[in-house]
Amino acid sequence: MGLFSYDVNRYTPQQMVIIPLILLALALISVGYSMYTTGLPVQPGIDFSGGTAVTVFTTDSQQQISAYFAGYPLEGIEPGINNGYYLKFGNMPDAQLQSLTQKITERYPDAKIDQIGESFGKTLQSQAVLALIFSFIGMAIVVFISFRTFVPSVAVVLSAFADIVMTAGFMNVIGLTLTLNTVAALLMLIGYSVDSDILLTMRTLKRQGKLEDKLAGAFRTGIIMTSTAIAAVAAMWVVSWWGQVETINQIATVLLIGLVFDILNTWLTNAGIIKWYITRKGGALLTGGGIAKTEPKKKGGK
Amino acid sequence: MNSKEIIDLIKDWRVALLIILVVASLIAINPHFENGQLTTNLQYGLDLQKGAWLQLEFKSEVVGYQTDRPVADFAGDVKNLTGADILVLDNNKIEIRKLYTQDQLTPIFQQAGGTITSFEPGVSKATADDVKRILDNKINSLGTRDFRVNTLSGLDGVTRYIRVELAGVSMSEAQNIVGRQGKFEIRIVTTGNQTEHVLYGDTITGVGNPSQEPPGSGKWGVAFNLNDAGAAAFQQAAIRYGATTDPNNHNVMMLLDNQTVYSAPLSSELAGNLQNQQVKSLFASTGTGNSGLDAANNLEIHLRAGALPVDVSVAGSGSVSAVLGDHFKNMALLAGILALLTVGLVIFYRYREPAIVLPMIFINASEIIILLGISVYTIQLDLATIAGLIAVLGTGIDQLVIITDEILHEGKVPSPNIYQKRLSRALSIIVASAATVIIAMLPLALMDLSTLRGFAIITILGVLIGVTITRPAYGRIIMAILSKPQ
Repeated sequence: MGLFSYDVNRYTPQQMVIIPLILLALALISVGYSMYTTGLPVQPGIDFSGGTAVTVFTTDSQQQISAYFAGYPLEGIEPGINNGYYLKFGNMPDAQLQSLTQKITERYPDAKIDQIGESFGKTLQSQAVLALIFSFIGMAIVVFISFRTFVPSVAVVLSAFADIVMTAGFMNVIGLTLTLNTVAALLMLIGYSVDSDILLTMRTLKRQGKLEDKLAGAFRTGIIMTSTAIAAVAAMWVVSWWGQVETINQIATVLLIGLVFDILNTWLTNAGIIKWYITRKGGALLTGGGIAKTEPKKKGGK
Repeated sequence: MNSKEIIDLIKDWRVALLIILVVASLIAINPHFENGQLTTNLQYGLDLQKGAWLQLEFKSEVVGYQTDRPVADFAGDVKNLTGADILVLDNNKIEIRKLYTQDQLTPIFQQAGGTITSFEPGVSKATADDVKRILDNKINSLGTRDFRVNTLSGLDGVTRYIRVELAGVSMSEAQNIVGRQGKFEIRIVTTGNQTEHVLYGDTITGVGNPSQEPPGSGKWGVAFNLNDAGAAAFQQAAIRYGATTDPNNHNVMMLLDNQTVYSAPLSSELAGNLQNQQVKSLFASTGTGNSGLDAANNLEIHLRAGALPVDVSVAGSGSVSAVLGDHFKNMALLAGILALLTVGLVIFYRYREPAIVLPMIFINASEIIILLGISVYTIQLDLATIAGLIAVLGTGIDQLVIITDEILHEGKVPSPNIYQKRLSRALSIIVASAATVIIAMLPLALMDLSTLRGFAIITILGVLIGVTITRPAYGRIIMAILSKPQ
């Protein structure tokens, strides 16, 4: 069973990794271009570039809102349902900012306003990039300590890297900007993505049995794991979209994209490399100490 | 399962611990109805309740220097050339309390006979703590119940930003509170309870940090300076009301917003001096030991009348209204419940066995309850934290799936011996993935990326609770359920 059918044993390692590799190359181009033009892997949102974000609930139409804020650097109006709007303003001088705050509260007294200055944004930006780098390195170290073998560790780290880069690339495509929230989601993704990778690697490397059976078993467990994670995040996404909760919506969107790429990278990239690694060594693989014992195999599952 | 098995199960320490923690958490959260409204002890951050936050940037920098001259001479020259307050931090760093770029400072340092070795916008940790104390005091004195002041320090200890969060106020109120200056006044006792006005805080030109006078004596106090008008007014009043000749019956009193904050007689030395001349530099002694130091710290703040020693500018701000706060709160609750339900549906689709699915959901919900219980004492819930909570729910169920699949290997129930092996095998996968999540989140929890701290901390806590408490308990429960005769 499964939410969709995919036979993890059907393809050769080369066939498995080709699609993710192409996607990764495309994502790297997008991320690289963004790095080159903005200094960040994803187009910076107001947390990093500075600006003002406003959430309002009003019966005013989009035209009325933009007319009301004529003269201010209104960069975008994202309508939700329930008459909710998420407005983005660019940077402006202090005096104009104060009059904007007044103007907003005059007409929309219940608005949520967040304003980030340009220099503060820059500081946040460098900290956020540092956080991403530290996280990634830390994750890689833990993975290497867990497996103590080179190729499988690299496979896990590579899939996590591909996850992040593909998600970042996709964010550029759909115009989702990098904010503190999306940075948090990307970091969370490192954790999520490694989850199923570790399962796959532990099941295939540190256990006896036929590779096909082990891969199929790992896939059965792994795909349900990612499905439940997707279910939780999707619920979060739907509610936050419906209720115009921008913070949660940004996090949920990134996690959703990342989890879908995670399926791809775990069961194509990582599984492909593992398969290649094991078959290259002739199949007899007995690494790992106390947990390599298993019962006699019987065919099939539920 | 018969009742004996249930009792056995509850007696298992893993299960017992889980139950105890859930109950303790529920008590900590304390959900109850107040005026027909569900209330809890949960602390909400500014997304989820009315309030405002201000991110202030210090107009100051910490500069590393090298000079062959005596430090005091060098610093004195820098002070004169910049016209700024200077604080010598140690033999190679000074704090310049005025906004300058490195390029602007380079010639000034040269002129003073030194070179710049490092440049960092912000203030020293000591100054940042001062500012924090002043703001804490100021907000406290206005009776604002729920507020936080956090400094954001870099790894090198230089603080560039300070963040003020005030619950229950609007943006403009918050700006008023933070920017507000108190009315400081010095009065002098004439006869009995009668006092006369001497001067207001606007004639005070400088306030020192708490110091010992004489140095090393353990007698604490605060030095402050008056301008010419202030010094003249002080001398005239002291002479006119007899404080110079009979100090003990004519205390000098300091008031902030009409509250007496200090009262003491002139020292005999000062009384003598004032007879003949104006005195611009004064020292208010507060006593000896720790109580003297505490009093001096407070007096310093009062003398400044809530003014900060360093100028600040607003680097960021935000506010949420009560209506939106409630809306977000409801949405967060809805998202959590819906997430739990959809996860339950997916799990049911996979296992088709209520005996497996229900414990999973129960374990997942208990994890959230324990996390909320802990949060009562540790962090404020804001939108990002809630997102973290739901993400924890996602990873949590993942790991229960690992355990279930591992134990249910080939769809048959294992003997206790094999069960133990399989459980520990599952736990080894879980521990490895938990370690990566914790490591990935650690930078966010440690760095001051303001709003994301809660997200990172809740995720780390969630993973820790999962690994140490809920997963082992689940392993025990699922074993008991599966070993019933089928």
